[in-house]
Amino acid sequence: MKLVYVYGKEGRMRFVSHLDLQRFLQRALNRTCLPIAFSKGFNPHPILSIAGALAMGYESDYEVFEVKIEGTVDKSTALETMKNALPEDMPIKQVIFRDDTFPSMMSLVKMADYEITPRDSLPELQSAASAFMRTESFMGLRKTKSGEKEIDVRKLCLKLEMQNGVILTRLMLTEQDTLKPDVLMHSLCTLAGIDDVSFRAKRTGLLGVDRYGAVKLITELQL
Amino acid sequence: MNLSDRIDELMPLVQKPSRYIGNEYNSVIKDPEKVDVRYAFLFPDVYEIGMSHLGMKILYHTLNKRDDCWCERVFTPWPDMMKLMEQNDVPLFSQESRTPVKSFDLLGITLMYEMSYTNILKSLHLAGIPLYQKDRKDGPFVICGGPCAFNPEPLAPFVDIFTLGDGERSIHQFIDLFKSWKASGAPREEFLRRAVSEVEGSYVPSLYDLAYNPDGTVQSIKPKEGSGAPELVFKALVNDLTAADYPEKLIVPFGEVVHDRIMLEIFRGCTRGCRFCQAGMIYRPVRERSMDRLLEIAEKLVNATGFDEISLMSLSSGDYSCLPELAHEMVEKFMARRVKISLPSQRIDAFLKDTLKETQKVRKTALTLAPEAGTQRLRDVINKGVTEEDLMRAVTDAFSEGWSAVKLYFMIGLPTETDEDILGIADLATKVRRCYFSIPKEQRSPGLRITVSASVFVPKPHTPFQWCAQIDAETIRHRQLLLKSELDKLKGVDYKYHEMDVSYLEAVFARGDRRVSEVLRLAVENGCMFDSWTEFFNKAGWDKAFADAGIDPGFYSSRERSLDEVLPWSHIDCGVSLAYLKREYQKAMRGEITPDCRKGCQGCGMTRYEGACR
Repeated sequence: MKLVYVYGKEGRMRFVSHLDLQRFLQRALNRTCLPIAFSKGFNPHPILSIAGALAMGYESDYEVFEVKIEGTVDKSTALETMKNALPEDMPIKQVIFRDDTFPSMMSLVKMADYEITPRDSLPELQSAASAFMRTESFMGLRKTKSGEKEIDVRKLCLKLEMQNGVILTRLMLTEQDTLKPDVLMHSLCTLAGIDDVSFRAKRTGLLGVDRYGAVKLITELQL
Repeated sequence: MNLSDRIDELMPLVQKPSRYIGNEYNSVIKDPEKVDVRYAFLFPDVYEIGMSHLGMKILYHTLNKRDDCWCERVFTPWPDMMKLMEQNDVPLFSQESRTPVKSFDLLGITLMYEMSYTNILKSLHLAGIPLYQKDRKDGPFVICGGPCAFNPEPLAPFVDIFTLGDGERSIHQFIDLFKSWKASGAPREEFLRRAVSEVEGSYVPSLYDLAYNPDGTVQSIKPKEGSGAPELVFKALVNDLTAADYPEKLIVPFGEVVHDRIMLEIFRGCTRGCRFCQAGMIYRPVRERSMDRLLEIAEKLVNATGFDEISLMSLSSGDYSCLPELAHEMVEKFMARRVKISLPSQRIDAFLKDTLKETQKVRKTALTLAPEAGTQRLRDVINKGVTEEDLMRAVTDAFSEGWSAVKLYFMIGLPTETDEDILGIADLATKVRRCYFSIPKEQRSPGLRITVSASVFVPKPHTPFQWCAQIDAETIRHRQLLLKSELDKLKGVDYKYHEMDVSYLEAVFARGDRRVSEVLRLAVENGCMFDSWTEFFNKAGWDKAFADAGIDPGFYSSRERSLDEVLPWSHIDCGVSLAYLKREYQKAMRGEITPDCRKGCQGCGMTRYEGACR
């Protein structure tokens, strides 16, 4: 059995890196009395996986990790003990059960929704956003481990609109095709002919595609 | 923007933001309106080091148990963050509430090593607190404690009060005194005067006059007339550690810290009497926590933190009176929860075969042994009561139990040392290697690794070697190279050694008097900080500081003192008496050993303290 948790990463928690978060979650799991399954080997650790690493500095309303357990546990225990083991700015929102044979949450992620709040230059960004969505292609650079890679920012952006000074957008998030909010914002600023604008970003969903082609939150996918 | 938002703005620009975010699991948040005393505890080094410090954990816990006080942590920001803070006018702040340090009531600073002194001055500067005690009209009282407080003089002009000895009780006396002083509306000086009589182990440097002889040595350190300050300041002593407060929760850091595990102090003090060891003198007597209490604390801490390792801490864990039982109980209790038990600072002569087996059940790390010196003659001089046979027995046991990595710690530059003693180190390494190969191949683990690590000896105050000169840099370098060339001949042996420059400075500040404070101030102006980090060590800055202050560092590091010289710390009593230290010095020079006082009192002077050595 796997427990799949949906949680938020708020406030100062946004500065906790992915690697640190992993260690933090392992210890949090040790603090619960859940029957966690451990890996074999010399340094056993909980069988834990976080879906779609969130870049440092971004907040989120919808992050997902899953952990394997041995035996069973009821839903309210699974929810309450995890809530108690985590700080307030890492709120647990939901827990669902999945069979061990169910694909990993990580493998289901295809895209992510973000809310981006630029600090200023709103009118310029508003018109850049419209122009951006009208073009077919807009090349940009993505930083990778091995250097920089040229990507088509426009093609990796599936949705983009601006409401009340907030950019709502859906970006590709797979191993091959990934667009991060900072690259998108850099493109918009380039298009607007302005210097990079500082912004805050919040992830609002990790999404996959079901067998009928419908886009859904990964925790709502039934395969 | 408020201060917290301004700090957040800097986070994307620094390495490891998790050093500054606070909010870690089990950190304590209180309503500032509902407490009477705000206490800032500064560890003057980077977060990862400070968060590995047991003393801070103990005092944080005991202070925050009180409803009337809120203790928060402060660390010296790493230079990248420090620069940004200076550029953006962000003052030094606390981790928990991000309050400027300047607006706290009390600022406690721990003095773990001399090479953190520049960070203290740098931190005061970042906090906007006047450097010199005499210039402070408001803001927190600066209180320094920890091992280096036993020679307080190099920091004396910057500090309001030094607090000597165990802090579990005295820190509460400070809180009570602060409340009462504040209610009284008396001037600042009154707080200092009252600390002398109301807080045990308090030394208030501004209440003393110093006089120097024409040759530069100290003539006298006397309390100012009518100040009420004592001629001799005795340390605070907590006799019953089982009853003393110990954390039941520990903060769980986000980033990786040096000791990322539960630290369980099994006892305090050490009575082996190694003559080079300051900790062995100033933490006397030995006080054990009961096994029941340790098991109780361990259980609570595992539940509260989720850490998967418990480290049994003390100066010499092998000496715990029921170590095999304790190790056994711990392993039994926590094995199912996959919690590892580790024993650091292992002493070879106390090494029990059964204990070896117990710790191995959960984890097999390198076996660490500290013979300290290469020949029996020199080991007798330093009173390291360990023989070559002990060492060989311990490594043979370890190798036959499946260990294949051994770390051997030595010091270079010990009093009376000759090249022959250095060759003795290589000889020991050769014999350890031979022990490994004497075990049949199928009974030993493959991949022998012997690490020989040699630090440079720094004579410390309150030890029998406090009168000794540090050996000059040229001789040290010669001996380091001699050892290297000998060890290079041995396959599977690594050699690690330290640069002399830092040890030389450490020797100056370990035994410095009040005048070297000027060097510290100038060094900080020259950009010196984080001196124990090789990437920041700024030799030119230090050289200039000594030259500008007109102070010869050799006077403090490389000078042999006579036994009747008034030492700069002669007004501080660390527990052992001057008579004992002199006796031990003389025995050292004759190469005579002194047995562990558990086998019979050696008259170190601890019995002068009420309740000690019952």
